[in-house]
Amino acid sequence: MRIVTWLLVAAGLALTAFGVVTVLGQAGSGAQPWSAELSDNFVFIKALPFVLGLGVAVGLLMARTYGAKVRSDGAIRRWSPGTVFGHAVLTVGFVLALPTGMWQYLGGILDVNLPIPIYLFYRVHYIGAAIVLFAVAAFMSYLWMTGDRSLLIARGQWGRHLLGLAYELPPRIRAPYAKLLRVDLRQPRPPTGQFTFYEKVVEFPSWSILLALITITGLIKAVRYLVPVPGLVLFLASTLHVAAMVGIVIKLLDHLRYTFPRWPLVGAITTTWVNERYARLRHPGWLQAAPGGSAPATRHGGSERSGSAATPVVGGSAT
Amino acid sequence: MRPLIAVLGLVWSLANLAIAYFFVTSACVAKTAAKEGIVAQLSLLLGGVLIAAFAFLLARECVRMFSSSDASGTA
Repeated sequence: MRIVTWLLVAAGLALTAFGVVTVLGQAGSGAQPWSAELSDNFVFIKALPFVLGLGVAVGLLMARTYGAKVRSDGAIRRWSPGTVFGHAVLTVGFVLALPTGMWQYLGGILDVNLPIPIYLFYRVHYIGAAIVLFAVAAFMSYLWMTGDRSLLIARGQWGRHLLGLAYELPPRIRAPYAKLLRVDLRQPRPPTGQFTFYEKVVEFPSWSILLALITITGLIKAVRYLVPVPGLVLFLASTLHVAAMVGIVIKLLDHLRYTFPRWPLVGAITTTWVNERYARLRHPGWLQAAPGGSAPATRHGGSERSGSAATPVVGGSAT
Repeated sequence: MRPLIAVLGLVWSLANLAIAYFFVTSACVAKTAAKEGIVAQLSLLLGGVLIAAFAFLLARECVRMFSSSDASGTA
């Protein structure tokens, strides 16, 4: 099965390279009457099916890395290598797409032009958008293949999560929040699992909504020269695209604000691992869910061991 | 590594504060009112205020990173 996945990725890479080179060849042939800006738009749209296809294939490969693991020193895998890779790719995409998108918007509002041609901003924006779309396709494929829903709140669990979130909020916000959402603070604090309640109630849903919004509206904007798009739809798509961009700017600040003080979590999204001490201290529910109530119940001599059905090591999974 | 990330975070916060400034000031000029309308003005104002607030919170955490290694227990 692994060889088939690798073959799919190799085929996807070859097809994408062929497709992008062909599209760039068409754009650079001199036969097209379009401006540099419009030409980039067509390159982006025509390359997109290849990029998305490659994303799906890479998602299959990412799914091969899914599964809970505990290292011999007790460190627990919080994110799979596939997720870490996808997160890094998404970050690169945002680093390219967000500032260029912001400049396109702010430049228009402020009515100022930089000495750099605007089509270059669009070009970098399209490259960033293509990387984001690649990552989105890869994550969709990854989640579909693994069936992992650990970042979603299961049916009937909302009350517990809202209560858990209340205890994670700063005390001055807790009472108004509890009153607003009718959360009973007399109940004991539920133990934090693999993911904090803030991650499950706020972080993951808001990122998902914003990513979906910016992807769909961006695609509508991008295809408008190929497919007739009604004026109202285009207006709404443009407005929501900007709104999603501002939302992502805010969410990114919130994401960094939340994770920086939890430094082991920053380490986890780069190395996949969280040390045992931190997991015990901040994520007790994660370890309680393990058979026997402890993650590293037995440690093997090897550098790490798998959390397969035969040797379950933690209650959660490396998402 | 932490100090480097803290510095980068501070730079990011400052860049976002600049964006917030442009959002808020653009919301209050006659040109925006004439060109974009009141809804765009309010959106710019709201967006600018929110960006500024979260940029300030991030900057505060980055400054704390220089002096503290404790993980916060609150959201």
